[in-house]
Amino acid sequence: MCKPKEHIFISFIWLKFAEKIVDPNPLISLLTHLMANSLRLYLTCIRNTLEAALCLQNFPCQEVERHNKPEVELKTSPELLLNPVMICRNEAEKCLIETSINSLRISLKVKQADELENILTKKFLRFLSMRAEAFQVLRRKPVQGYDISFLITNYHCEEMQKQKLIDFIVQFMEDIDKEISELKLSMNTRGRLVATEFLKQFI
Amino acid sequence: MMACFERASPALREILLKIHRAERPVEIDYHVHEFGSVHYHVQCSASDPHCAYLSLSTPLLSRGLTFSSHLPEHILETVNGVFPRIIETIEPSQEGYQLTLKLDFSRIPHSKASTKIITEISSVRAVILSSHLKEILTKVDSNGMYKPIKLVYRPSEPFFLIKQQAKITAVFPMRFKENEDVVIATSFFQELADVGNSEKCRKAPRCIWSPIPPPELRGESIEDLCTNCGFVTFDITSRHVEGKNLDKTVWNLLNFYTFVKYYVKSTRGFIQRRMRLRLEKLIRPLHDDVDVDQEDRRPEKKAKGCKRVKKWINASKSKIVRKRRKLMNKIKRIRFRIKIHSFVGRFRRRWLKLPKFSRVTRYIKLE
Repeated sequence: MCKPKEHIFISFIWLKFAEKIVDPNPLISLLTHLMANSLRLYLTCIRNTLEAALCLQNFPCQEVERHNKPEVELKTSPELLLNPVMICRNEAEKCLIETSINSLRISLKVKQADELENILTKKFLRFLSMRAEAFQVLRRKPVQGYDISFLITNYHCEEMQKQKLIDFIVQFMEDIDKEISELKLSMNTRGRLVATEFLKQFI
Repeated sequence: MMACFERASPALREILLKIHRAERPVEIDYHVHEFGSVHYHVQCSASDPHCAYLSLSTPLLSRGLTFSSHLPEHILETVNGVFPRIIETIEPSQEGYQLTLKLDFSRIPHSKASTKIITEISSVRAVILSSHLKEILTKVDSNGMYKPIKLVYRPSEPFFLIKQQAKITAVFPMRFKENEDVVIATSFFQELADVGNSEKCRKAPRCIWSPIPPPELRGESIEDLCTNCGFVTFDITSRHVEGKNLDKTVWNLLNFYTFVKYYVKSTRGFIQRRMRLRLEKLIRPLHDDVDVDQEDRRPEKKAKGCKRVKKWINASKSKIVRKRRKLMNKIKRIRFRIKIHSFVGRFRRRWLKLPKFSRVTRYIKLE
């Protein structure tokens, strides 16, 4: 699971070496390319882990009769839980996948470069969590230490295709990053336009 | 744009236009409250339709002390100077108000110019505030140079003016209650500073934002210098205070806090709208997947086809016999009504012979 880190480390070393002999402009494009690659690796790692972990079956509660609860949330029976897996792209971005016999919980920490991205991410993910029923697999409250969490049960796997579920989660991760960046850009553009209009009043 | 950025009060303008355009004498007694602290009282009686009385109460700029309840002389002179033939100051002013004006509508022409005149009269509050600020600035003598003058227009929103040799510096300490507002406003101030220093707005006042108090405010009280969103500084030069630009500059400086708050509020609404739009796009893939799965499980719809052919295909032998019997009974009933001798047999044989039904599925080989 640490492969993405190794890749990033090796690429970083090569980058440092290349700095001395190569022009800086192509270096920036190379860096962008490497970052895109690291994102691909990160998402591929998550996808492969989900494919292995999404083998859920119906399992009634062992403690209460006629109850059927997601065991990953209760964590009362250790024999029904699998080892949690944490996949880190860097210190700011990570993914925690906790599996049990009848349910799976995925928690995501989204990158936040500055204060503005921080509040935008918080607002947007809180907005989505409040409307969790529309997503069906989204948890209303994220796990502590993470920005957003999904809870997939065996019932979801019966209603929906496993591959499509995994595609949805990976696509969701990409879309969130894209949306936060777009929001930040549009806010800055808007601020610039408003500032120009304000200063024009003096002229 | 928000109503408070307009110099003329829209509600007051509407009332004065109504009085001016009324065909018959009207009795009017309106109280108009704006922005929580501005109060207008308009009175017009039917016995004297050409005269109206306008009383105004507004917070004035103060130097950090208690609010003044009486207007200084120079302001009254400025107000009288707006339209001396139309406006007349009444002293003493009505109780509870700082200023009472008598407006003579007979001197306002009934043409397109009337709207412009009434708009100027409706901006009496802006005239008062601007002239007050102008007076404060001009009264600063050489001893007062480089000393910050603290002005309070609204409580908890003081700003500073520092008169220097070649310019006047206006410093706005910015404070917000919520952390989100602080972040949104900070990004706005950074953009404002960038745009202010760019080539496009080189004629506009130079704008600087800093998270720490500027050196000009050294020595001021700690309460005034404690902020969570930094300090915005405008450098006003002689170009911005010449002629008509002076009114614009003064009005913009007075409304800077309101402008920033309005921007923060509208940005929050903008973020909310964007999030709602994005929500639909994010949900769509999941619902499409669910729909596809449900479609796979639904049985395929069969083609309807022709009803008559269906009937023939589905007709069994017993059904055919039953139908034949019914038809025969019908014919017998008809037969009992009409009796034609010797014709009946021939008629029956020719016309009432029933065709033999056979299953459509059985094919007859054509020769």
